[in-house]
Amino acid sequence: MKKTLPILVAVLTAVFILAALILRPQLNGWLDVVLNWAVVTASAALLVAVATLLLTHLRAILRGQRGFIYSIILISAFLVSFIGALVLGLENSAYLRWVAAVQLPLETSLLGLAALVMTGAALQIFRSRGWSLLTISFGISALVFLVISLGLLQALNIPLLSTVIAYLQRLPLIGARGLLIGIGIGALLTGLRVLFGLERSWGE
Amino acid sequence: MNPMDIVLGFIGIALSVMIFSYLLGDNFFFRVALYILVGVSAGYGAAVLLLKVIIPRLIEPLKESGTDAFWLGLVPLALCLLLALMLVPRTVRAGTLPLSFLVGAAAAVGIAGISRGTLAPQLLAVVNRFSPELLLENSAADWGGIVEAFFILFGVISVLFYFHHRLSRKGAGTQRPLLVEGISDVGQVFLGISFGMLFVGFYSAALTALIARIVWLKDFILALLAG
Repeated sequence: MKKTLPILVAVLTAVFILAALILRPQLNGWLDVVLNWAVVTASAALLVAVATLLLTHLRAILRGQRGFIYSIILISAFLVSFIGALVLGLENSAYLRWVAAVQLPLETSLLGLAALVMTGAALQIFRSRGWSLLTISFGISALVFLVISLGLLQALNIPLLSTVIAYLQRLPLIGARGLLIGIGIGALLTGLRVLFGLERSWGE
Repeated sequence: MNPMDIVLGFIGIALSVMIFSYLLGDNFFFRVALYILVGVSAGYGAAVLLLKVIIPRLIEPLKESGTDAFWLGLVPLALCLLLALMLVPRTVRAGTLPLSFLVGAAAAVGIAGISRGTLAPQLLAVVNRFSPELLLENSAADWGGIVEAFFILFGVISVLFYFHHRLSRKGAGTQRPLLVEGISDVGQVFLGISFGMLFVGFYSAALTALIARIVWLKDFILALLAG
């Protein structure tokens, strides 16, 4: 029973939502109710995840584990941000300005740093994966699109070159379509496995 | 510049320098910046979840006792309480029920969303290339369009072949016929081209962010010097 109940809940939920999506006018009200339950439960799950993160760092501080100073910083930053939102409100302009003043430089700097790290990582792919059709075509494609993205070739205004560039820019769509269809089929199969009670991704 | 702008500007400079200190290797300041980012983001995220979802959608309906909203609100309340029990090591298994509910809901929404939003449009985009309206120009065949349509179809099939081939090779370790190997190799080339373009797109965005950050730092320092 302990193992059957979660499977039953997952299958019934999935079947009901799918049925409600197909029979929309009749079950629309109930679909809203069940989706609202899902939104609330998902939010609670995320809050539990945050609480688990805080508890883990709190334990590290109490035990005086190596690097506990980082745990103190994390919990302090969390408390300032969380209590600030509760006291001032999420729409308060001073609070939003403060959060943006911390998040914006950190996130843009991390993205900027990624540009520098990616240059090395792109070369690393040849070392780790060797010379294969995938890595060679990746390297050539990256070089070609890097040159195209500079816009210098387009500025030459040669009709034949413009046609070739337009064709080259359409070429990655083929792989991307295959990739999306592949991912779509994989996700669809996972969903169907849950629907038939074969997938148990709730940590059994 | 008002004092608040100056303080926030200095915070921005300090955090940017801490992040870029990674170029000298993984160090204390870089880690501090990361932990600040995680802490602030987690705090903001938790506040949004609490104030925008949990209170209006769970707590408020439970205040109206005896109404439909109240009775319907008891179900997510029970699920949330079971989830909260996961914080205690002894009762961690209590979370299985709400998690299975979430998995079921996500699977159903995923099946509907992916089939309508991803699979159908992508497959139609490939198949629609063969539509007579597109391939017939002034009642004569557009051979360029026909070749392109077949080329795209072959490309998409070869990428799918590559996925299938990779998965089956991982599982069985058997040698495939030469034709399958060949089509799979073509799929690799198409995938490589797409990954190359995606890499350049992300690289350009990251480079733009880097330049924007340097320009911001320069502007702030110049504004500070100008008073």
